[in-house]
Amino acid sequence: MGIIKTSKLIFDYIRRDEEGNVEGITRAVDEVSLDIRQGEFVAILGHNGSGKSTFAKHLNAILYPTEGTVLVDGNDTTDDEKIWEIRQCAGMVFQNPDNQIIGQVVEEDVGFGPENMGVPTKEIWERVEESLKAVGMWSYRKHSPNKLSGGQKQRVSIAGVIAMHPKCIVLDEPTAMLDPIGRKEVIRAVRALNDVEKITVILITHNMEEVVHADRIFVMEKGKVCMSGTPKEIFSQVEALQALRLDVPEVTLLAHELRRGGLDVPRGILTRKELVDALVQLSKGKADVE
Amino acid sequence: MKLIADHVTYQYNKGTEQEIYALKDVNFVIRPGEFIGLIGHTGSGKSTLVQHLNGLLMPDAGTIYFDGEDITEKGYDKKKLRSKVGLVFQYPEHQLFEETVFADVCFGPKNMGLSRKEAELKAYEALKKVGVEEIYFDQSPFDLSGGQKRRVAIAGVLAMQPEILVLDEPTAGLDPKGRKELLERIRKLREKDGITVILVSHSMEDVAEYVDRIMVMNEGRLLYDAPTKEVFSHYKELEEIGLMAPQVTYVMRDLEEAGLPVSTEATTLTQARDEILKAFGRKM
Repeated sequence: MGIIKTSKLIFDYIRRDEEGNVEGITRAVDEVSLDIRQGEFVAILGHNGSGKSTFAKHLNAILYPTEGTVLVDGNDTTDDEKIWEIRQCAGMVFQNPDNQIIGQVVEEDVGFGPENMGVPTKEIWERVEESLKAVGMWSYRKHSPNKLSGGQKQRVSIAGVIAMHPKCIVLDEPTAMLDPIGRKEVIRAVRALNDVEKITVILITHNMEEVVHADRIFVMEKGKVCMSGTPKEIFSQVEALQALRLDVPEVTLLAHELRRGGLDVPRGILTRKELVDALVQLSKGKADVE
Repeated sequence: MKLIADHVTYQYNKGTEQEIYALKDVNFVIRPGEFIGLIGHTGSGKSTLVQHLNGLLMPDAGTIYFDGEDITEKGYDKKKLRSKVGLVFQYPEHQLFEETVFADVCFGPKNMGLSRKEAELKAYEALKKVGVEEIYFDQSPFDLSGGQKRRVAIAGVLAMQPEILVLDEPTAGLDPKGRKELLERIRKLREKDGITVILVSHSMEDVAEYVDRIMVMNEGRLLYDAPTKEVFSHYKELEEIGLMAPQVTYVMRDLEEAGLPVSTEATTLTQARDEILKAFGRKM
């Protein structure tokens, strides 16, 4: 069984008026059944209001299902006795790094989680070291988080989560507030955690470039999973994604436009290298014909 | 109306040990109707600069002229300046506060001293311009979606009829379609109403697509101030300061390196497509 398994997960927001009477019900997550394997890199796409963040908040028991179940490493999230195990297993990183950093010094901030879990002091420092090294922030350990760039702060937030030794890390738009290099740094750190530490990654984002290396992509719409597949499978459906208010990576779109212009470029191109190679091949073929 | 920054310098924590220059000798001229992109990594001085444009911060040295007048002079009417230079902060929806969408947008023009009727007229126009439909006018702004809230917040600034609109990361957190819709609205405002727009952005693709001129900030200095294509031709220098060129520019460079007869000037998807098709003897 996977590290995270949801079956027919439903979540209803209940809207109430000022007196507390129920005004209506909004179904934010609608029968989502996913099985995510240990070590997978999974991306969740969807427009604003499609239910992806609400779904993510179920994975470490911030929200509980209205119907259906969520199992994290075999534990049901509605089981109160398991809540700390679940939160330790599935760590969460949010959009705004400033809301997640509490320490005055980088290493203290990262040590807060394990300390709170009752990890012995010596081991806390070992964990702080390995976590900061994993995100490339070890040389900043004595710095004040206030003086760091957005990308650096976000990497400290991630180190703070991995210091708790989660099996899985859920990132909800971790790069939305960052500049281009900050985005790159964070995504590189996340990919390294997945490749080297084998931590399961669930990445929610609006940036299509960030998910081209994912193992699987799920696209959400109106609370349901409406598309799923590898990045190649998903991003070869340019029009379908655009109809869902989404997009494809810039090079994928360029390749799509070139196809429309009559060039025989393969579908589902994801990287600059793939596109350049395809065009070079084409130009060679053309030269041969001539 | 021209806006001129003349040797603008600003220091944080002035007179203390932690004194740092947030802006250092910044000079530029913004002319009516321009669409300008302001880029720079986090902490490069963009937001500090933007706050000088409508007098929220005052330079420690140098001056800013708006419409020929020195805004740093004693007695200069800053309230008027703030209606002429409209500033939309990051996540402006956090500043919505009134009970209804319409009342929220009326707040700015009322505060400027317009009569209720005039203020309502301006609010109505502004909401139409950003594409908020009438059925939402009486709703609480807090019940709207993220993208709608953002548009209401922008309408609140537009209702004061600014001549220069400064937007600090207006698309942060919006989905791809929402980003595009908002930027198209802004483009229309500029085309139809001739409003001058300064767009602060971390998306090089958006900047390449929409603006004519780019100002690049680095460590409090204005590093480049030039037409879009020219600025992105310095992609190596941009990378050194935490920025980059649009994706397609890199594709064109790779193609040129691989020996294809393409110009590397393209900064937008359409330009790149047309240039590549041309190299293959085709066109759209």
